[in-house]
Amino acid sequence: MAFIEIRKLFKKFGHVIAVNNVDLEIQKGEILTLLGPSGCGKTTTLRCIAGLEKPDAGDVIIDGQPMFSQGFIPPAKREIGMVFQNYAVWPHMRVFDNVAYGLKLQKLPTATVKEKVAEILASVDLGGLGDRYPGQLSGGQQQRVALARALVRNPKVLLLDEPLSNLDAKLREKMRFEIKSLVRRMHITTVYVTHDQAEAMVISDRIAVMDKGNIVQVGSPEEIYKRPASRFVADFIGTTNFIAGEVAEILPDKGLVYVRTEFKQKLLCRVLDSAMANLHQKVQASIRPEDIEVFQEPPKGRENIFKGTIMHRAYLGNFLYLFVHVDSTLIRAQASYNVTAKEGEEIFIFLNPEKCLILP
Amino acid sequence: MSRGNTFLSLILWFILALLVIYPLSFLIIESFKIAGTNQFGIKNYLDFFKDPYYLKTFTNTLFLGVLVLLATTLLGLPLAYILARYRLKGKTILTALILLPIVLPAYAGAFALIVFFGKQGTVNLLLLEWGLISKPINFIYGLHGLVFIQTLHLLPFIVLSLSAGFTNIDPSLEEAAEVEGARGFKRFLTITLPLCTPNYLAGAVIVFLWPFTDWLTPLIFGLIDFLPSIAYINISYHFTDMYRKYIGIVSVVVSSVICVAIFLISKRWVEKKKYTSLSKGTTLEGRIIEPGIFITILSYAYMVFIALLVLLIPTVLGLSAFSRRWVLQPFPTYWTLDNFRLIFLESPLLLKNSFVFSGVALIFGIIFGLPAAYLITRTKVRGKEALDFVITLMLAFPGIAVGVSYLLAFWEGIPLATHWIIMPLSLFVRRLPYFLRMAHASYLQLDISLEEAAEVSGANKLRTFFNISLPLLLKGVFVGVVMFFIMAFQEISTAIFLYRGGWETLPIGIYLNWHRGMEFGIAGAMAFLMIVIIFILLIIISRIGGGILGAAWGSSGGRY
Repeated sequence: MAFIEIRKLFKKFGHVIAVNNVDLEIQKGEILTLLGPSGCGKTTTLRCIAGLEKPDAGDVIIDGQPMFSQGFIPPAKREIGMVFQNYAVWPHMRVFDNVAYGLKLQKLPTATVKEKVAEILASVDLGGLGDRYPGQLSGGQQQRVALARALVRNPKVLLLDEPLSNLDAKLREKMRFEIKSLVRRMHITTVYVTHDQAEAMVISDRIAVMDKGNIVQVGSPEEIYKRPASRFVADFIGTTNFIAGEVAEILPDKGLVYVRTEFKQKLLCRVLDSAMANLHQKVQASIRPEDIEVFQEPPKGRENIFKGTIMHRAYLGNFLYLFVHVDSTLIRAQASYNVTAKEGEEIFIFLNPEKCLILP
Repeated sequence: MSRGNTFLSLILWFILALLVIYPLSFLIIESFKIAGTNQFGIKNYLDFFKDPYYLKTFTNTLFLGVLVLLATTLLGLPLAYILARYRLKGKTILTALILLPIVLPAYAGAFALIVFFGKQGTVNLLLLEWGLISKPINFIYGLHGLVFIQTLHLLPFIVLSLSAGFTNIDPSLEEAAEVEGARGFKRFLTITLPLCTPNYLAGAVIVFLWPFTDWLTPLIFGLIDFLPSIAYINISYHFTDMYRKYIGIVSVVVSSVICVAIFLISKRWVEKKKYTSLSKGTTLEGRIIEPGIFITILSYAYMVFIALLVLLIPTVLGLSAFSRRWVLQPFPTYWTLDNFRLIFLESPLLLKNSFVFSGVALIFGIIFGLPAAYLITRTKVRGKEALDFVITLMLAFPGIAVGVSYLLAFWEGIPLATHWIIMPLSLFVRRLPYFLRMAHASYLQLDISLEEAAEVSGANKLRTFFNISLPLLLKGVFVGVVMFFIMAFQEISTAIFLYRGGWETLPIGIYLNWHRGMEFGIAGAMAFLMIVIIFILLIIISRIGGGILGAAWGSSGGRY
């Protein structure tokens, strides 16, 4: 049985449905990220797990214990730790008192409290700063205080609500790995909320992508990236080209279809879901820029080769980024330096049928 | 640094020197004069602190401050929490009522409570009539009555500052405590309340210092043993007795020093303690709770109780305004418009003076306040901190200090006090920080890039001010203007020292009519009229925007 089970969770604010019958299972010791654009319901879901929000229907079961359906369990009784987006470090208390707060409420002996706080402060690199007030700390340090406070009681579940969004880019990148290794070391089941897909990729064992109150896909970062379940996921995670068209021919045994698009030739695509492949059905083909190969001369013996004109050519350091006009459709492609063609010149692009996916 | 800004700041400094620094230094010099000689010395101060009577007035005043602060805090804490946190229907109207005393003159409230709770007041008469008591109970004459009326009058300051504190707390700070295991009252004590202390202190200072500035209310209750009251009596009634005059001036200086010192200390402390958090994405209204049925009923009962006490003031004044010879009866028996006929037809001068003086003061206020706000928020002109400091200090100075110092300073040398212009001038100086703070706050909200865009487009500073800043500031400035007017309109503590025959204002008229003892109906009618005028102005403010609440809070420094 999963450590956290979210069952048919439903929450409305006024007329807006924030969370729409969400089902999700989170395994013990796992780091799961709720990923989605703002307003997708990820934070509300997290706050329901914390008990800071009461759902209109559904339940959250933590370690076999229902949090709502058999009487509301308040946050204080859930044995959770939480890091807030703005850290919520209490400005009127010293760092030590911030971290010790929860322990003192448990009425632990002073010596134990001191020991535990010192230990956790050291592990978040804040050793020696216990006497400071939060106002005397940098944003990154306040963030660590919040993390230490959430972890010091060794909670069953750690909840993180966009914890890195207030940090600058460099520090954010560093903290991703630090949080991950810290949580791993302590074997704490973690639910992480973010809108930053790169952050989600780095930190998670699994990602649950949310859109408009629904979970649209759950999977490992690789699965989500390589096999997006919908147009929304493909668009939200990474960059992709969408090519609209209509199914023209089905190759049933191969799981491939020909799609008639604005291109002069038909486009050969992979179908992940056979239900998608009906003749004359309107579909979207999706292919990521890095999956497109660019040639100066048309390669022989391959299908899905299209001729296009370079509209923009940008140097991005480790590769070239091209906007290619193919029969009035703009395609983004990643190319290596050996492509010397300039803007306005013709080139050939190869859309690998295995990576050109038909999405609902 | 432009030459224009420097010039502007010099003009403002000249005005401050003439109207603030010069008279106040006169006051201080006078306090060192030794009666009967031409010598100077600290004799007056030594006498003051050696005389057990004056020491008693000093400790009385301190004690009153503590009592009133205690009472307003105990009453205000739950009220502020209810207003800030519970979702209750009709809260806006109840809030407006509870906060009403902030714009009502305390003396008007005192009159009303005497009529209602006095020995021959409505309550006592009714209780006697019903046979519940055999002789009148002393509800209000004495310290307890004074504490009662001051508490009612000052409660809004505590409620406003605390509820602002409760509202401004980032909800996640309390949620974090909840997650950490702190529930209910424990969380309130360890997290919520400590986070409110800077806000609370801002209101508490106003309340605590009030008895050091208010000489009139104790007199109405027949008490004189308070620092400002005895100062008033010594200076106004015994100015031929040099010794009492100087001791009176010493009392004024002592009050002022205490007010300024405590004001500055608390300001320092608040600024140091001000908790800046990284609040992002929190709701504007803070943490709002749906209360349970029990809490709801209790909250309503409490709010209505306070609101009724407040409503008592205009109601009683209204009853006496429309009646005649309301004595020894629980309610008026003879209804008449005679009082108003007297006010409007026989002495319209009072009304006219009130409007003219407040209006002229207001014009001074705008002419001074807007450039001052501009200099302080938008320029780097040298000495702007000092400018801000001197102006803000006027928040702390008791009105009696301004009145007495003007009386001393503007007779000889610069004989401003022989012309009626002294009345609006003193009103303007009393309310100096007011308008500035409003304009200042509006300026801070005005994004500087809007002005910069105009300058980049080719407008000079002056044109930018008139085309861009002023129209955008107008709303805030307007609210400031009306609040200024309201406060100037009810001003008495300065004016009472300066008025001469023909310069009486409505508040002075109220005081004189009460003082004569027989004309309570007219005093009541005047007070009622004043409340009506204030109320109309308040409605205008709330219509214009900013909300009645914000408008009232802008008056946090309001003292009479």
